Amino acid sequence: MLNIRNFSFTYPGREKPALDNINLAVQPGEFIVVCGSSGSGKTTLLRQLKPAMAPHGTAAGEIHYHGQPLSELDAHTAAADIGFVQQCPENQIVTDSVWHELAFGLESLGEPTQVIRLRVAEMAAFFGIEPWFHHRTAELSGGQKQLLNLASIMAMQPQILLLDEPTSQLDPIAAAEFLGTVAKLNRDLGITVILTEHRLEEAFAHASRAIVMDGGRVICDGEPRVVGKILYDMNHPMHLAMPTPMRLFGDCLTVSEARTRLASQCVMRNAQCVIDPPPTQSKAVLNMKNVWFRYEKNSSDVLRGMDFTAHAGEITAILGGNGAGKSTALSVMLGLHRPQRGKITSAPNHKISAVPQNPQSLFIGKTVQEDLREVVAPSVTLRVPAPPQAGEPISINSIAEIAQLCKLESLLQSHPYDLSGGEQQRLALAKALLTRPKILLLDEPTKGLDAQFKQQLAGILHKLVKQGTAIVLVSHDIEFCAQHAHTCALMFDGQIITQAPARAFFAGNSFYTTAANRIARWAVTCEDLCSFFEKKEPKKL
Amino acid sequence: MKTLHPITSLVYFTALIGFAFVFMHPVSLGISLLGALSFILMLEKSRALRFMLTFLLPLFILAAAANLLFSRQGVTILAYLPSGNPLTLESTLFGIAQAAMLASVITWFRGFNLVMTSDKLVYLFGRAAPALALLLSMSLRFVPRFTRQMQAIAAAQRGIGKDVTQGNVLQRARHGLKILSITVTWALENAVETAGSMRARGYGLPGRTAFAIFRWTTRDTLVLAFVLSCAAVIISGAAFGGLQAIYFAEISLAWQPLSYALFAVQVVLIGVAVFSVAPRAFLYFCHAKARKSHARGVPAPSRGRS
Repeated sequence: MLNIRNFSFTYPGREKPALDNINLAVQPGEFIVVCGSSGSGKTTLLRQLKPAMAPHGTAAGEIHYHGQPLSELDAHTAAADIGFVQQCPENQIVTDSVWHELAFGLESLGEPTQVIRLRVAEMAAFFGIEPWFHHRTAELSGGQKQLLNLASIMAMQPQILLLDEPTSQLDPIAAAEFLGTVAKLNRDLGITVILTEHRLEEAFAHASRAIVMDGGRVICDGEPRVVGKILYDMNHPMHLAMPTPMRLFGDCLTVSEARTRLASQCVMRNAQCVIDPPPTQSKAVLNMKNVWFRYEKNSSDVLRGMDFTAHAGEITAILGGNGAGKSTALSVMLGLHRPQRGKITSAPNHKISAVPQNPQSLFIGKTVQEDLREVVAPSVTLRVPAPPQAGEPISINSIAEIAQLCKLESLLQSHPYDLSGGEQQRLALAKALLTRPKILLLDEPTKGLDAQFKQQLAGILHKLVKQGTAIVLVSHDIEFCAQHAHTCALMFDGQIITQAPARAFFAGNSFYTTAANRIARWAVTCEDLCSFFEKKEPKKL
Repeated sequence: MKTLHPITSLVYFTALIGFAFVFMHPVSLGISLLGALSFILMLEKSRALRFMLTFLLPLFILAAAANLLFSRQGVTILAYLPSGNPLTLESTLFGIAQAAMLASVITWFRGFNLVMTSDKLVYLFGRAAPALALLLSMSLRFVPRFTRQMQAIAAAQRGIGKDVTQGNVLQRARHGLKILSITVTWALENAVETAGSMRARGYGLPGRTAFAIFRWTTRDTLVLAFVLSCAAVIISGAAFGGLQAIYFAEISLAWQPLSYALFAVQVVLIGVAVFSVAPRAFLYFCHAKARKSHARGVPAPSRGRS
């Protein structure tokens, strides 16, 4: 169907090719997951397959679509046959109403009203859009928006569907629903799917083929299990980004497979989870007591008697489903909203800073450097000496120091919007740190980050905690919290249901817990299991 | 009214607003004002009531009083104002009539706004120029997004302790400009992606069509015929002086049999508009399909907005 032969691509002004001698053949009906760390070339590859989205640069080699060079494909077929869904749900929506968005592509193709009416109806029915068919696009949730983007592409009846990290901005439930719909399209309609993804647990379960890219090359290509085994044996860094069962055994895809495998290999079935003794609790720096909050007088309560404590020198993670009030809780802690009832106390002289869910909304300057300076010297251009800050003086030195901590030195001259997702997150963190907060609030800090960037972020957070900062983060990312948070709290229905040291927290849950804990009740993180195997039996190569 | 084709609604409202504006006969004004008020009451319930009390009533009094104070026309002098101007019966009545006209036109426009959602307006524009319709639809999406992003940026700044609402005027202005500037950058940045999404869906191919979900139904034909014939009767009747109302110098109002007939037609024209937005029970009454299900003994439909 698609045939890529000796294809290379170099961005203008770069030495190193972004794609290096790619050879791939895509058969009709395949479900391909392309994975790789950020900058491995997977998005570039995907964009090359859609003529309208192909970036500028020098290309060598050929891409054939049904035996015809892609570049010679007529514009009408290229638009209709090859569907492309991008990462950000919000930016792809063109019009203000759902029905118009569904019809947009068909209008472009010049279909008559009767045809459009039928196709739009079909799509609305297939994707379950009917309940919100007449809504404004602005009223939709992120998951609904991305589903709408998919539906409006499918209305054009494409043969092949290209999806560029479509779920990175969605919460886990919406992401699973979205991938489920894509899988249904593949299974029931035979649509060929090529998907790039960071969160591989769900994607691998549906995929018929996985391709791993590194440095612009394809390093692995085959069935997900086979690819998992190859990476496992190579001990490749990408192996760390694989789903937990795959990290353990290589060719295991699901938790239940891994459980069976584990049971056949060892006898430690009755072992208890080793729970560290509770650490000597440091000083509580932020305390919420029976806090009630609602946004408007007549709306319903978002926080319903929330109790919460954050300690100095600890990472506290607040987990919970959508709409449990997690982000609202952060904004109340920050003082952006005043609770109707209850008390929030923070230790004296403890400054609170926050990084919002979308780090972009924190950026103001034209370059990273300017943006960082903006924080420390707001009145430089007014020619008024900056007011002396309380506590430690903030100087240009501290910018350098924090830029180094957040690994931003090489990016100081770039525009904040040109940074990658992980770099933007670090810049936002740097801006918040420049205010020298004693309490740092983070809203979904790992959203859209790959495994490598998550590790870097965790490294920074641990350094801060060592200096005595209290970090409160709100997240859907169970694995990240299990690995790095000291204390975890479960939020439900506007309350903190339980707050406990991370290991005890996850060991006590049976559904809301890590994959490693579901595989073996005595383990919490994947590292627990891996180190157990290393001790027990050296890895067979 | 809400489920009618936009063109039918547009013609209907043109007739309602036009007649409210043109005819100054007190009975016509009364019918129009009462109709307009019950129209928005049906649609908005308590919010309409608040609108009437806090906006419409003061406006009515102000408009009537202004005319009273400044008009010197009329022959029947009731009293003399402190300013020395005579207060005449004619100018009093004319003031009230004008205030009623103003109030009813404004109320009908509010009704128009409630019924003609942006979808419908975009469609009506699109009839004239499809490119304009898309532009309008995109702007309707863009403007609220832009303001929301500006608020998000301001909130994020407060989150790192930089309150943009504090400081002297110069500082606040500078902060405001910074936020505006970065939001523009943000919008341009995102526009690149939106443009990509448009190109990916074939925007720019020749022969683009414009789709609308509105369908022309028999009901539209019937309603349109009804509105046009009512309008024809009213206009020709008015041409024969059936709705004549002269306030100055002496009041002379038409009270012929023709006038009564015209009032009746007006009541019907406006009444149908009001019933169309009335609780659903009324709609079922005129709807053929509903009548069938009624005959089969389906329980009375729940009361709700149509």
